[in-house]
Amino acid sequence: MSLQANIDGPGQSLSFWDRRRTIASAGFNRFLVPPAALAVHLSIGQVYAFSTFNLPLTRLLGGAQSAPADWKLTEVGWIFSAAIFFLGAAAAVFGRWVERVGPRKAMSVAALCFAGGFLVSAVGVSMHRIWLLYLGYGALGGCGLGIGYISPVSTLIKWFPDRPGMATGMAIMGFGGGALIASPLSLILMNHFKTAASNGIVGAFVSMGAIYFAFMMIGALVVRVPADGWLPAGWKPAAHPQELVTTANVHVDTASKTPQFWLIWGVLCLNVTAGIGVISQASPMIQEMFAGRVTAAAAAGFVGLLSLFNMGGRFLWATISDYIGRRNTYTIFFVLGIALYAAVPTIGRLGSISMFVAAFAIILSIYGGGFSTIPAYLRDLFGTMHVGAIHGRLLTAWSVAGILGPVLVNYIREFQIDRGLPKAQAYSTTMYIMCGLLLLGLVCNLSVRAVDPRHHYRKPYKT
Amino acid sequence: MTKIRLIVLWLVVGIPLLWGIERTLQNALKLFR
Repeated sequence: MSLQANIDGPGQSLSFWDRRRTIASAGFNRFLVPPAALAVHLSIGQVYAFSTFNLPLTRLLGGAQSAPADWKLTEVGWIFSAAIFFLGAAAAVFGRWVERVGPRKAMSVAALCFAGGFLVSAVGVSMHRIWLLYLGYGALGGCGLGIGYISPVSTLIKWFPDRPGMATGMAIMGFGGGALIASPLSLILMNHFKTAASNGIVGAFVSMGAIYFAFMMIGALVVRVPADGWLPAGWKPAAHPQELVTTANVHVDTASKTPQFWLIWGVLCLNVTAGIGVISQASPMIQEMFAGRVTAAAAAGFVGLLSLFNMGGRFLWATISDYIGRRNTYTIFFVLGIALYAAVPTIGRLGSISMFVAAFAIILSIYGGGFSTIPAYLRDLFGTMHVGAIHGRLLTAWSVAGILGPVLVNYIREFQIDRGLPKAQAYSTTMYIMCGLLLLGLVCNLSVRAVDPRHHYRKPYKT
Repeated sequence: MTKIRLIVLWLVVGIPLLWGIERTLQNALKLFR
């Protein structure tokens, strides 16, 4: 009997987008799945480079300088915030749907939303209606970000039960790496479409929509899910799993009522709050702490370097967590983070740029590692059944941290400067507050215990 | 055939990523000049 007949059953024909059509045939190479996931994450990671468009969007009418009727930078800034908000919301709301329909349909919908967001925004730019950008890139594109972010996660965990950290780390690394591609690509496209009457944003948006749609669809077409009960050749689950690694499953609705879910929520939120605050202020921070020694161009290089470590940390730390365990990995994040944040004011006083860059490079690798190790941590505690949906709900921690981190850094800095402190010293208090947040995160992490068996899902489970 | 698909797919995602890394490193070097 052919594989298709096996899948469809007699007399049944399945749509190309049906989850059962994506069940892998025997001999499928599981290493095809990580690049498929990377194709999606490298695309949606563009959101981190959206700031490349900020200044050009404030000069649509004026050309070289902003005209009075041009959009303000604060108005434009809300496009990114809306996209991140809708990322978290869509991941939480559509998590169970993504689990049900499978990765191919979810990735395709994510591609349509993300590309559609660019096209609606292009219309908004040509008509000079900012609400179309909020609706397009912010809401529609943001939903594409959320669905795209979680769509390959549970599939990767099922393909790599022996190395779940490495597998999800590889995909989520793409989200960090997306900005490295999008930043120069946006500049190249804007220059290409630039005319005397336009700064080329419309052309850049339309092109990026088309490019990212094609790239994400490559992932959607290649991705496959393993058959029920599939295990890697020669691999057997450990007879005595580690303390926090379960072989049971927890339903997504039950998981969010357990203390473990909220402790991990706290771990993610506090780790991200500390990192995102630094990302949002990295450029002015290094220029103000080393006044006269670091130019704006060099500060941009510093931001790029941080992006590289953010990306590399996602793969490296998640892979390490497969060997040393998830809780130990986060303990290292928090202890190392506290030590490094506490050292920053001293490094600033010593005037060592190299030590400053090294400290923040490690901090950003921890920030990235915090994102990429979470899915495997959830798999360990709640099993594979609803790990994608649970991960989606957990990403609300990201939305909260996205507001908390920058607000903390900005407001405390302003407060210190208003009190008459020199700009170079204005970040010290912030660094100590970050230490406090990380200490709280450490407590949350060390409080994580195995989920009580009464929460385990009792019915037979089939994907 | 599977090996060729595997190599092609990794190249499709790897080349843009390496291009992005190379551009970023070029900028980052300005920090130490």
